[in-house]
Amino acid sequence: MDFQGIYDRLRAIEAPGLQGCDLPRAGDPEDKKDQGRSGDAFVLVDPAHWVDFFKACKSDEKLAFEQVVDLSATDPAKDDENFWVNVQLLSLRHKHRLPVKAILPKSVSRIASLALVYRAAQWHERECAEMFGITFDGHPDPRNILLPDDWAGWPLRKDYEFPKEYHGISCE
Amino acid sequence: MSLIENRFEENLLTTKVDWLINWARLSSIWPMTFGLACCAIEMMAVGAAHHDLDRFGAGAFRATPRQADLMIVAGTVNFKMAERIKRLYDQMPFPKYVMAMGACATGGGPYYKFGYTVVKGVDRVVPVDVYIAGCPPRPEALMEGLMKLQEKIRNTSVIRKPARTA
Repeated sequence: MDFQGIYDRLRAIEAPGLQGCDLPRAGDPEDKKDQGRSGDAFVLVDPAHWVDFFKACKSDEKLAFEQVVDLSATDPAKDDENFWVNVQLLSLRHKHRLPVKAILPKSVSRIASLALVYRAAQWHERECAEMFGITFDGHPDPRNILLPDDWAGWPLRKDYEFPKEYHGISCE
Repeated sequence: MSLIENRFEENLLTTKVDWLINWARLSSIWPMTFGLACCAIEMMAVGAAHHDLDRFGAGAFRATPRQADLMIVAGTVNFKMAERIKRLYDQMPFPKYVMAMGACATGGGPYYKFGYTVVKGVDRVVPVDVYIAGCPPRPEALMEGLMKLQEKIRNTSVIRKPARTA
């Protein structure tokens, strides 16, 4: 199925939390500021229905997204009020993919964990949590995965300040 | 020393012992099996048949710090690893040498500015004898680094000078 087919199917089964989709488009030749958008088409999902949406994607016969390929977050800009949480789903049975995005306010920074739906999401969520400071509620093992346990700050946030020293090793 | 003292011309024995011990040390610098990043691939190439580090007596990569003389820090050192490096270095027996291989181990390399977890040079953690430039260094550069280290060992003296009497 192509993206439009997947999107129609998601609407047909009334997938919980589905907010819409965004397609890449060419820029407007009249308006020089409008560069258009490149990249993949994705669907937007409400963070409040995050887990239910993926359960529906996984259990539906026509969609059958049995794998999560990637889960990451984006901090678009320093003064932006939201994070994006991006997920890539893959169905080996139907040979199709679906990029999913949730817009998460920085003031909240909490989202439900997908680990009980897709076990593969565990490590991705741990990395995402330590790099962006997003809490994944219900994660079975929320330790740091790459950074040391006593690391301060969230390195991939745009407002991150680099450490001056770590355990007596200077970083200047 | 007293038995043979003053039997030969001055300083003859001392230099010979130095020469012998230095020769033994520099001809069998056993490195530790220890690769952190892409520099380790070049280090493996140097250890393999084409470049053949065994010609210098340094091809016996030991899997434990207790049998190793040389630590080749081949790759990017981050803070999590730096504490392990310090511990491994402490576990090596004297005399021990450290080589900083490549730009990352020498000074942070490409991660100098934005690598938030990268140690900006392994010499902030352990003392370094030889720095090797390159990203990663060619195998010839690593061999030259080893020859520089041999040169350094050749010029050391194992026997202390006697205390000067008034």
